[in-house]
Amino acid sequence: MAYLKDQRRETMMVEGSWNIGAYRYKGSTQLQEYVDGLKEKKLIGSLCPGCGKVIVQPRNICGRCHRRMDKRMVVSHKGTITCFVISPPIEKGKYKIIGIDPVEAGIIQEGAILVPVFVRFDGADSNINTILLNSSPEQVHIGMRVKAVFVENPEGKLSDLEGVEPLKE
Amino acid sequence: MLRNAAIIGCGQTKHSGRRRDVSQAELVSEAVHNALEDAQVSMKEVNALVVGNMQGFGGVAQPELWIGDWIGAPGKPVLRIATGGTTGGSVGQGGFYAVMSGLYDIVVATAWEKHSDSKEAGATTGLLHVALANFFHAFGYGLSMKNLLATSAVGAAAGVAAYQARFYMHRSGCRSEHFDMVAAKCRRNAARNKYAHLQWPNCTPEDIHKTDVIVHPFRMGHVCPASDGASAIVIACEDIALKKCQRPAWVKGLASYSDEENQMQSESGGGVGVLDPSEQMGCRLSAMKAYAQAGIKDPQQEIDVAEIYQPVPSQELFFSEKLGLFDEGKAWIALEKGETEINGRMPCDPSGGVNATNAIGSSALQRILEAGLQVMGKAEDHQVPKKVRNAVAHGWGGVTNYVTVTVLGETPAPRR
Amino acid sequence: MQRRVAIVGYAQSEYQFDVPRTREDQVFDVVKAALRHAGILREEVDSVVTASSDFLDGRTISNVFLSMAVGAYQKDESKVEEDGTGALLYGLMRILAGTHDVVTVEAHTLASTINPHQILFYALDPLFDRQVGLLNDIAASAIQARMYMKKYSVPEEAVAMVSVKNLANAALNPLTHRKMPDLTVEEVLNSKIYYEPIRELMIPPITDGVCALILASEEKAREITDRPVWIEGVGTCQDHYLRERNLTQLESLQKAAAQAYEMAGIKDPYREIDVFEVSERFAHEELMISEALGLAREGRGQVLIEKGLTGLDGEIPINPSGGALSADPICATGLTRVIEAAKQIREEAENHQILGVTRALAHGQFGICAQKNTVFILGGDR
Ligand SMILES: [Zn+2]
Repeated sequence: MAYLKDQRRETMMVEGSWNIGAYRYKGSTQLQEYVDGLKEKKLIGSLCPGCGKVIVQPRNICGRCHRRMDKRMVVSHKGTITCFVISPPIEKGKYKIIGIDPVEAGIIQEGAILVPVFVRFDGADSNINTILLNSSPEQVHIGMRVKAVFVENPEGKLSDLEGVEPLKE
Repeated sequence: MLRNAAIIGCGQTKHSGRRRDVSQAELVSEAVHNALEDAQVSMKEVNALVVGNMQGFGGVAQPELWIGDWIGAPGKPVLRIATGGTTGGSVGQGGFYAVMSGLYDIVVATAWEKHSDSKEAGATTGLLHVALANFFHAFGYGLSMKNLLATSAVGAAAGVAAYQARFYMHRSGCRSEHFDMVAAKCRRNAARNKYAHLQWPNCTPEDIHKTDVIVHPFRMGHVCPASDGASAIVIACEDIALKKCQRPAWVKGLASYSDEENQMQSESGGGVGVLDPSEQMGCRLSAMKAYAQAGIKDPQQEIDVAEIYQPVPSQELFFSEKLGLFDEGKAWIALEKGETEINGRMPCDPSGGVNATNAIGSSALQRILEAGLQVMGKAEDHQVPKKVRNAVAHGWGGVTNYVTVTVLGETPAPRR
Repeated sequence: MQRRVAIVGYAQSEYQFDVPRTREDQVFDVVKAALRHAGILREEVDSVVTASSDFLDGRTISNVFLSMAVGAYQKDESKVEEDGTGALLYGLMRILAGTHDVVTVEAHTLASTINPHQILFYALDPLFDRQVGLLNDIAASAIQARMYMKKYSVPEEAVAMVSVKNLANAALNPLTHRKMPDLTVEEVLNSKIYYEPIRELMIPPITDGVCALILASEEKAREITDRPVWIEGVGTCQDHYLRERNLTQLESLQKAAAQAYEMAGIKDPYREIDVFEVSERFAHEELMISEALGLAREGRGQVLIEKGLTGLDGEIPINPSGGALSADPICATGLTRVIEAAKQIREEAENHQILGVTRALAHGQFGICAQKNTVFILGGDR
């Protein structure tokens, strides 16, 4: 194959940009219903009248039945961990998300070990991605029973649900 | 299928982290030139082109309009197909359909990515864009920075793949050490493929095990690189394939089923009903349909080599099961026995796969191309040392919900 | 063609600026309506092909969160990233190949999400034209218009008459965006100037739009409907990038039309085709398109409009629906033309219906100065 070059020379570098700040996306208001629920420490999901699946956080359309999920359901605070991952101790300058270093910004403590989990709350047919609190990486396992942890004074924001913690039944 | 189609020529570029010697257009023309030369076909004989990449990574909108002049497209039909990670697989399949439809006789399918054109490491400009609209939306409803960073910061490098791996480990009993074995195998195979990116002759699982943990169960050594590269195939109808090529790779089956999004998010921040992102029903359905078209009843016996899209090692394991190459939950046992090595019973990714070379738009077309090379007996140093009757090529992408499966073989599919 | 393929159902959203609904909602409603129009269920669809663009939707993998809305859950699906006629071509190829029988084809762009002219700027050669910063799609088309008008002595009035005709036709079409029943040539020529000689009323408004249609193989089409609209011919072609092209002619459209005519067995399009739906992104393009389609000699497209031949009651009506000048939801524009052509054949076009249509032509384009062109010939049962 003739075009395979062994010796390469650099070309000139031409700068360009892509202005993505100009987009005006249209969002739906289903999340409003969800956060209104959080304010009352309720977890609201959407119920499909076709297949009966309950999806938390609520979504608009059930692809299985190709119809709107216009009914709402409240699911339990108790749930089960279906999956987890464990971070190494978080160090300064290692990760950047949307240009922010979480340690530098004081959002996560240096050396902390995070355990993001998938939780399926009782009554839901979907997972929620959140954080395991008040536990340790040694304790976490699939099938672990947990309950939702809310902030003290919920204001109707997504951050009202802080995470989940082990449940003693 | 009403008309047979076959790959008669393959071309790709050298892949590396920064192909600073060429522009995006020159990169694509390099692959197309190589494919035409391999097929002994001139651009004049080509009836149509199918092209694709992910626009966000290269930062050029509809690049085929500008690049067309570099690859002989003017005056010909050009179809642009883009489906995220599966772009290459979708482009290849688009090329097959173009010939199978009877509308065109010789078609060039080409796909590419030039990650180094993006200023940010890992070309995150494009990737973040998947989620940006949803993130902005969620911020409007008070998504806290802490939650976002904690759930996505640790997963930034591996994303949903880490969860997939955990689900698979839980289901099958496979351990993180098996991921070391797959990654080492990919590095070693890549060392035998002159176009591959991460080449590491004699790499051992211990070498991989020494690398840092990104997020349990993944280490740095498990993850694919971001490559610059392009690949192209020449597809021809039956008469021409028989005339032009001694041993064409016939398309026997192809499908691209989509499942519900399974990355925890749907449009406007809703949840999803797929509980296990390693379930991959789209892959199962695609494989079932492609095998049925190809007349394959027992893939474990009838498939001789597989090219699987596996940015991380766990994906090679569970996708090979979903493709029916191993019993459910048993792929890691076959790995332990060495069955997936180049000289094994069921070689998986003899080219090194996506784990060693990932030019995203191109990656899934490269799987088709590499499967084609194995059928045509042209894979040189990474040719599997046995007769290849059927090879399967797989592509994966979207928010883990899109899969392409293509079956190539030494003879055309049986007529329906 | 190896098989006969027909359009058996279709639907469009109401084309407007800044429709206060989400992308998902609009796509869902339109696909649902198309299935209802065909009288079939989602379960009967084998495959889904969509058309949208990552840049125009502002999301990488623009189709990724729409799979459910478009009815692609556990279906064989794919997406083209260009005009909707490309998706139709791909859907057609899937049926012709014998691997599928019923295909949903969907296309959308919500142009209010971002100014689409800004996106086309990013389609310019990034190493030169984008750096120089002088060109954009409107400026390039202004150069084309000037060259074309100069070379063939086309008066500004003839170009303005295209806008007058199409925007008046649009007033009869409830779904389209810009409707001006009483527009005059003077008003067009006095509208705001963008780039000489292109004026505000010679460019489409910025439009949100979604459309979808259902394709079926002959066997299935006969089961589904007694009024199938057959695809008799198709042709498509990409031209050179801006620099290397002869801008005064649409050579790629000539080639695309030639392929489509040959497939459909058409020798004299002027006599054999009853109505034309074309994607004229600028008023002067309709004249150039009519020449490339073989309806007028080179440079004589102006005669058609001056003599009123392309009007609703003319011999060769062009864009009775109002055309792209009345609504241009980028990726959906070409597919809308196909739907409008199908409506004419099925006599479902209501106020803008042309009488006795048995054969229609639909045209879609993409890229700066119509770089890529696709032509479909549709016909009814005769
Ligand atoms: Zn349902």
